[in-house]
Amino acid sequence: MEPSRVSRILEDWSAVAHAARRPAAAPRGIVIRSGLLGTTLASASLIVAALVIAGVLLSRQEPNVVVGSSPSPRESVASAAAPSPSDGACQPDEVDARITLWEGAAGSRIADVELTNTGSRPCNLETMAKPWLASGRGDVLIEGSTSRETAIITLAPGDVVKTLVQASNYCGPAPEPPVTVVFVTSYGAAFVATALSPTDTTLPPCNGAPGSAGTIEMHPWAR
Amino acid sequence: MYVGVTTHVAIAESTESAYERAFEQHWSEVFRFALAWTNDWTAAEDLAQDAYVRLWNHRTQLDWSRPVLPWLLVTARRLATDRFRALRRRLLSTSHQETLDADPALRARWLDVCAAMTLLSPLERTALVMTAVEGASYEEAGRVLGTTAGALRAAVSRARTKLETA
Repeated sequence: MEPSRVSRILEDWSAVAHAARRPAAAPRGIVIRSGLLGTTLASASLIVAALVIAGVLLSRQEPNVVVGSSPSPRESVASAAAPSPSDGACQPDEVDARITLWEGAAGSRIADVELTNTGSRPCNLETMAKPWLASGRGDVLIEGSTSRETAIITLAPGDVVKTLVQASNYCGPAPEPPVTVVFVTSYGAAFVATALSPTDTTLPPCNGAPGSAGTIEMHPWAR
Repeated sequence: MYVGVTTHVAIAESTESAYERAFEQHWSEVFRFALAWTNDWTAAEDLAQDAYVRLWNHRTQLDWSRPVLPWLLVTARRLATDRFRALRRRLLSTSHQETLDADPALRARWLDVCAAMTLLSPLERTALVMTAVEGASYEEAGRVLGTTAGALRAAVSRARTKLETA
């Protein structure tokens, strides 16, 4: 008897899926993906070296944002090299970020954001990340730039840190709610802040021509 | 009871070897589950990898005497339904479908089956694959997919109808 169409599709699906090759090694934390300059250790070293050099060069310039409170004794200034999860870097599933307030300012909007270590272990948080303003559908409305200087704060379970994120000049179409802020770390983790409300569509006013680029900047995370 | 350094080292080693064993024994199943859910080869590889990163991060809190596969599958599903996953993939996304790139015939076969499976929702696709390909019971699949056996039966039935009538 002729196999049914469903059987044929499932047979094909099974044959193709079973042909997938397991990676050579079990992942242990964030890995450099192929295509991002390759998978070799040498490539990874090049990236880290470039970050360090960029950090050194850029640190000679005045930062764009006002640095908040100075690091506490538990903080230590680190190079721009990314901490890996094996060093205890905070992962998205062990922190909870949420917007507690949107404030108005001339031509911009400022989000007050709190981040709590909800995990069961201490974790290391980069004080600066790349901020994005994002819609409820996951579209990036305004993309910030990578931070120039960062430090590392160690957060014990339950510890809370705060930051301010200032966004200006959104000239795009009305986004799907809720509008929120995403913090992207140097090691690729993204902390998505819970929006102020499920229907929140707080956006900075358009100050330029329609379609002109907006800006978004964050203050360092601080206690 | 005093737990010496040697004991701590032994525990750490046994946890690591349990993790390695879970990778060798179950990666393929986790990948296929992710493939069924996403219908996207690269996304499935990413999901499987991320599920194992989670397992690595939680390795000291897990009860390794229990089966680890359900934990991995539930984790993969939760990761897949994270609506901000697409944002994160923007940073890291690259095509690394080495299996498909190495075999044009396999790639062609995948494109055909992928097109057919696009008709189904992630739940319908995964329910059908888990029960008809992987041999899971409706109860087992329901636990992994966070729904009831009855809802799974309905999803599988819808999936079959959609594929037959397409």
